[in-house]
Amino acid sequence: MASASATYEIKSEHGEVINTSTGLSNKKLLMWAFLGSDVMFFGSFIATFLVYRNRSLVGPYPADILDIPITSVSTFVLLMSSLAMVLALSYVQEGRKKLGTLWIFAVVVLGAIFLLFQVYEFNHFAKVGLTPRTNLFGTTFFILTGLHGAHVTLGVLWLMFLGFGSIKGTLRADNAIDLELAGLYWHFVDIVWIVIFTVIYLISARDVAPPGSVPWVPGAH
Amino acid sequence: MSNFLNKILYHDGRGWWDLPRTQWQEPNPKMEGPLGDGIAPIKRIWEITTAANLHHGTPAFYVLIGAILSIITIVEVWAFAWLFLGDLLVPLMLVLSLGKFVLVVGFFMHLKFDRKYYAWIFTACMVIGIGIFVALLLLLNYGGQVQQ
Repeated sequence: MASASATYEIKSEHGEVINTSTGLSNKKLLMWAFLGSDVMFFGSFIATFLVYRNRSLVGPYPADILDIPITSVSTFVLLMSSLAMVLALSYVQEGRKKLGTLWIFAVVVLGAIFLLFQVYEFNHFAKVGLTPRTNLFGTTFFILTGLHGAHVTLGVLWLMFLGFGSIKGTLRADNAIDLELAGLYWHFVDIVWIVIFTVIYLISARDVAPPGSVPWVPGAH
Repeated sequence: MSNFLNKILYHDGRGWWDLPRTQWQEPNPKMEGPLGDGIAPIKRIWEITTAANLHHGTPAFYVLIGAILSIITIVEVWAFAWLFLGDLLVPLMLVLSLGKFVLVVGFFMHLKFDRKYYAWIFTACMVIGIGIFVALLLLLNYGGQVQQ
């Protein structure tokens, strides 16, 4: 008797073998469901940041410390990594191994550069006196951007693994779905940063000490 | 000149874009723009800029999307740094951010070209996520003062 949850195989236009029990790729369906859950995850932290916005009683406050030009560059780097990612997938699906591998490692390098920017920023903030324990801004800022950084780190490691797989020949056009899943994850990390950059850096960057709080004096911590 | 414009504006499989034609036997219906059968040249531009009727873009098309994303980011930073918009800053930033979000999700994540079910799953989770977001804002804003 046929089972209602029977899994069978179909072939995509790129010759990939896709396991499915719904007509959709099981792997891809799982990835989209995971990304959906991550939307809720990050949505909660972004909401928390906004709820606690302008409620810190001691500095440093966003206007004292956020550096928009530097973060704009790192944002640009992450956007370009998304472009590199989609190019990598396109070439791997076409079976153009060298170009595919090159663009996969371009994503890895751009992701690593973004992480270096974040390490520099965290280090700089800690030096001038903003840590997760300093005030509500510090707590919500470090948790939100730190969790995003952890996602980027995982993505870099994942893509590095796939890049070496492409060199060895284990990542090919017929199993490019593996790279597509990593790509979906990577683009999701990018769109989360688009929201974080807007909410934290552009909308909140001019937030000064709220009424009743202590203005921040550099070097006084 | 007309040949140059043809190459830019029409994706007939021979131009710079080299975008494939629609496979009409595909079970998914073609993705039409809001213009329907309106003025042909405008419809053509809409099809090119949204990659309508196509399964996926080409490298050149993705580079175009990357360029648009870069320009939007530059506009954001420019508006933030040099335009003192006051209360207009937040809505402007949200609109520009939404534009980038849609471009990445639609084209880089292939939702525009892929099965509708994936878009439904993601949209449903987005709606729940936004619900959590709004609920948290309301709950914590009206739930008493929290200060440190």
